[in-house]
Amino acid sequence: MADARTLHLLRRATYGPTPASIIQATRLGRRAWLDRQLAPTTIADPAMDLLLQRFPELNWSISKVLTEYAGKVGTWDVMLQLSRATVARAIWSERQLFEVMVEFWSNHLNVTNPSSEVWDSRAHYDRTVIRKHALGSFDDLLVAATQHPAMQHYLDNASSTKAHPNENHGRELLELHTVGVDAGYTESDVRNSARILTGLTVDDRSGGALYLPERHYVGPVQVLGFSHPNSTAAGGHEVAVAYLRWLARQPATAALIVRKLAVRFVSDTPPASLVTALTATYLAHDTAIVPVLRQLFASAEFAAAAGQKVRRPYEDLVATVRVLGLKPDLKGTVGIEALHWTLIDMGHGPLAWSPPNGYPDVAVAWQSAAGTLARWNAHLSIAAGWWPKTLTGPALTTMVPKQRPATYGALLDVLSTRLLQRSLPARQKTAICRFLSDEWTTITPTAALPKDSIALGWRLPFVVALLLDSPQHAIR
Amino acid sequence: MTVPETDGLPRIVRPCGCPEGEEQSAGLSRRTLLRRMATAGALGAALTVAEGLGPNARYAFAAPTTYTGDVLVVLSLRGGFDGLNAIVPIGDPGYAAARPGIGIKAGALIPAGGIFGLHPALLPLKPFWDAGTFGAVHAVGQPSPSRSHFSAMEELERAAPGSSLRSGWLDRTIGLRPAGTAFQSAQVGSTQVASALAGPNPELSMRTIESFDLGGAWDTAQRTLWKKTLTSMYAGAPAAVAGPAMTALGATMTTSTIAAQTYVPANGASYPTDSNLGTALHDVARLIKQKVGLQVACVDEGDWDMHAGMGTADTGWMFDHLTELAQALAAFATDLGPLMDGVTVVTLSEFGRRVAENGSGGVDHGHGNAVLMLGGGIDGGKVHGRWPGLEATDLVDGDLAGTTDYRLVLGEILANRCGVSSLTEVFPGLSGTPLGVTKPLS
Repeated sequence: MADARTLHLLRRATYGPTPASIIQATRLGRRAWLDRQLAPTTIADPAMDLLLQRFPELNWSISKVLTEYAGKVGTWDVMLQLSRATVARAIWSERQLFEVMVEFWSNHLNVTNPSSEVWDSRAHYDRTVIRKHALGSFDDLLVAATQHPAMQHYLDNASSTKAHPNENHGRELLELHTVGVDAGYTESDVRNSARILTGLTVDDRSGGALYLPERHYVGPVQVLGFSHPNSTAAGGHEVAVAYLRWLARQPATAALIVRKLAVRFVSDTPPASLVTALTATYLAHDTAIVPVLRQLFASAEFAAAAGQKVRRPYEDLVATVRVLGLKPDLKGTVGIEALHWTLIDMGHGPLAWSPPNGYPDVAVAWQSAAGTLARWNAHLSIAAGWWPKTLTGPALTTMVPKQRPATYGALLDVLSTRLLQRSLPARQKTAICRFLSDEWTTITPTAALPKDSIALGWRLPFVVALLLDSPQHAIR
Repeated sequence: MTVPETDGLPRIVRPCGCPEGEEQSAGLSRRTLLRRMATAGALGAALTVAEGLGPNARYAFAAPTTYTGDVLVVLSLRGGFDGLNAIVPIGDPGYAAARPGIGIKAGALIPAGGIFGLHPALLPLKPFWDAGTFGAVHAVGQPSPSRSHFSAMEELERAAPGSSLRSGWLDRTIGLRPAGTAFQSAQVGSTQVASALAGPNPELSMRTIESFDLGGAWDTAQRTLWKKTLTSMYAGAPAAVAGPAMTALGATMTTSTIAAQTYVPANGASYPTDSNLGTALHDVARLIKQKVGLQVACVDEGDWDMHAGMGTADTGWMFDHLTELAQALAAFATDLGPLMDGVTVVTLSEFGRRVAENGSGGVDHGHGNAVLMLGGGIDGGKVHGRWPGLEATDLVDGDLAGTTDYRLVLGEILANRCGVSSLTEVFPGLSGTPLGVTKPLS
């Protein structure tokens, strides 16, 4: 069995350990494995590249979407492709930490997908903003996201003008994207934040980003410690970019971003010592993300936090498909679509959170009985191949070694090691054995496992599902 | 009550004599409880054991409920309900002038008092109108209107303009109350939960009562087997995962028991068939009758975005949709009979529609709208609100003005029917005089 710290790293920095990822991380060692994951372009991902060819519209420019769908304006087609490709990438991409970080930034700079105003631009935002900068610097990410048509529409800045400034984007920029709600800004700061952003908008014809000087508010502006004479309409774009770069470098922004990263990767209540140290690193490296992540994963606080995060429904489902070793449909995307529907049913469709603050990442926000039931039902449905039906991959029986385990307890240990990366406590073994018993046969962990046992036959998917239903699988 | 000190922190000794953190939380609102769990890092402490399992912190989500207010059913009419063609201001000359094609003619309307008439498709609800248990408020709007479905819905359900709150108004409402059963608040008819319920307080969601079940349990014996097995599997697990797991198991036992009983709606009520709304209200009625502890139910009905071809007084899109709405609500009220004295249904929609019809026989996104209310505690049989008029100068950007903040209507229902005493915790900054749309809870 792999060493506990390697497993801890895989549970946090990927969408769930698989036999192959455990072997790889063990062979490379944690540091080299992490270095590789932090340089995703060096990781070959041929199967994923091939699979992504089934989502061709994700590579379109916004103007191409507008042209191709001229007769079907507002279609959800491209947005649904994005949601489904997101699920597929989380499951099958070799660039696991990159995908986790794409999800992280998609929530931090949330633009709900699908939502009507971004039907043409949301996939472009994913590709040219989030993915481009996910492991770059927050500074560049913020500048790109703020100006992108998807964000411009989503937070209403596209229609904001000097005469009628819409404060939505200016406020969320401060509250959610950068310094945070407790940074001490005033309503006057919010108004100025909105004024600075006026002029940034969307070109109705091409769907692209546009700066319209005639919409820009001219005159001195001040937000917290940022001030600018802002004396010409033509110079307004530069003022906005300078403002964004200033915001990205504020200690309050640094603290907000690194704390969020610590909540994602360490615990729901990350130690202040870690947040302080990461804040300094973020500022010292000019908002670069990789040094922060490197320090986070190397920290004592991270090492001490094993077992302290709960998997959200999305992480549970993705980890389930990964650990079962399932592969995509032979062709088409029907199986992936089914997984997407399952996630929607669980209230955790990828990119689908509607308010601008992104999905919460703390356990108290996900203590839903309906969500738990949906997860359990998905485990069985996927393991048994009921739905989705079209995913491919090895039969469950391949998890059982050719040399049959001698007892039911030994079988459960084999399956538990394979699925949960640990042996099963006696109480849980007994519980599953009771589940397999009936009025004629009492099964116990020490009972001999016959060749024709139902546990190796029609009940195997149920046993696998029960293991995936366990609290061990629910923990990240 | 003695207050011994430990580590300098006062510890409250409960009247029940049980140690702190073990007691059921009657009297302690769930919001307080969650805040306490979060700040105490209860989860962090509970999840540290190597196996990923830790000592079981008590999950206090099953306290006996002391709630005696109405069951509140919030019916979301998604897409932008055209209140002007449902509760028709026929006595305002601006109406017929603005809607020469799609306007409902006076002769077709059900008289509703004053300048108003009900769309003829609302006929199934006429008995309740006449009895004073079905009513409406007109010219209701949001303080910061938006014409975007998405933004308007989000703001409507967050219901906290000008504040940084990120939760929904129903979640905040539930947060003020002692913890109830798993069924305290529920989305029925869909597993996608309305944003009004979003927040720290858990809710249930179900497509139907029958579908809320363990997928591997094909009969009662199997269900019991699953429950026993999963309960053992979760013994000693951290509260953050064991709590919802046990709640889920308990709730499936309840839903499967209800599902096993043949249900015949009472008083000859007949829910529309092949109607998601009908099925959802049918299930809400069953949950109410079974006394499972339901306090808030959210039900969605979509497809109100009638930009083109909305039809006439006796046929078409609006007629069909209103017919389904009226039949489902009438069946619900008939089925529940006297129980409706403890139920309030209120409809909400993200915005109303333009006053003037467009060139496609429809109406575009607008603002002011009608809210429908049904229940024994409603002051019905009339149209409440201040009518702003439909003269060009009365309109706001071509829309019916919103003269009543929708939160005033909801706030009155919460205060008068649902036992909420601190309204500003639900609707921060809300001010204004209640319209008198409800009768006080007797």
